Amino acid sequence: MVSALVTLSVVLAAGWIVWLSRDIELRAGSARGVGAAALAALALWLGMVVFYAPIEQVQGIVQKIFYVHIPAIIPTYLGFLLTAVGGVGFLRTRRESWDQLAQSGAEVGVIFCSLMLIVGPIWAKPVWGHWWVWDLRLTSTLILWFIYVAYLLLRGLAFGSDAAKTFTSVYGIVGTAAIPFVYFAVDLAQGSTMHPSNPAREGLPAEMGRTAGAGLVAFVLVFAWLVARRMEVAALEARSLEARTQGGL
Amino acid sequence: MAYLLAAYAVTAVVLVGYALRLGRARAALLRGTPRRS
Repeated sequence: MVSALVTLSVVLAAGWIVWLSRDIELRAGSARGVGAAALAALALWLGMVVFYAPIEQVQGIVQKIFYVHIPAIIPTYLGFLLTAVGGVGFLRTRRESWDQLAQSGAEVGVIFCSLMLIVGPIWAKPVWGHWWVWDLRLTSTLILWFIYVAYLLLRGLAFGSDAAKTFTSVYGIVGTAAIPFVYFAVDLAQGSTMHPSNPAREGLPAEMGRTAGAGLVAFVLVFAWLVARRMEVAALEARSLEARTQGGL
Repeated sequence: MAYLLAAYAVTAVVLVGYALRLGRARAALLRGTPRRS
């Protein structure tokens, strides 16, 4: 039930973002509803973290960092997948809107990946005794972060050029190859990692699963709203640049 | 407890900070960009 709801929210969010990207300026109004839903979902999630989720017996209250660490994963992957979708769309059609989708997905994906990389060590320190260990899951996640930070830097350095957009589209598509590696890193490490395996496979007590699920849905909604806003900014930037080059301002 | 609060505070700062940054950029662009005809 929980995983079905999470999957549904991911599919709906991804579909809505792609639909929005077709004409972001005309359709941006629909982001208000998603923003309101995200706020409501965040309030529910926080309430569940404080009042509903049990205190884990071994780790104590610090285990509740789980509910903010785990929900950042899906928006990270989804952001980078949207970068690939936008990249494919741009290479096929040369339409600016696909490129704006790719850029927005990468930027918001990097925000959530950064969160995961900051919050993880805050949890690791009291539990493992170390802020960071160079095991396969942590290192591969850091590499994934670098891949998309480099993507954003490349875009920033080669502002607006068509060749840069083509190159970053290909780069964004190739970059997604790192995602399954990160996801299966714990399995690939064959026991030589401190990071626990994916909770979806491990199984969780019902209250913990529901709270994590509420967090996942809330973060997916926040992600969708942020990508919508970022795409709107990118479209406005493009139009502002166009107006300036034509001497309209 | 300090670690727990730190994790949630960092999350709030990062997400709210980024949303505000986007909001400011959008408002500035809307002021200076002619509407689409």
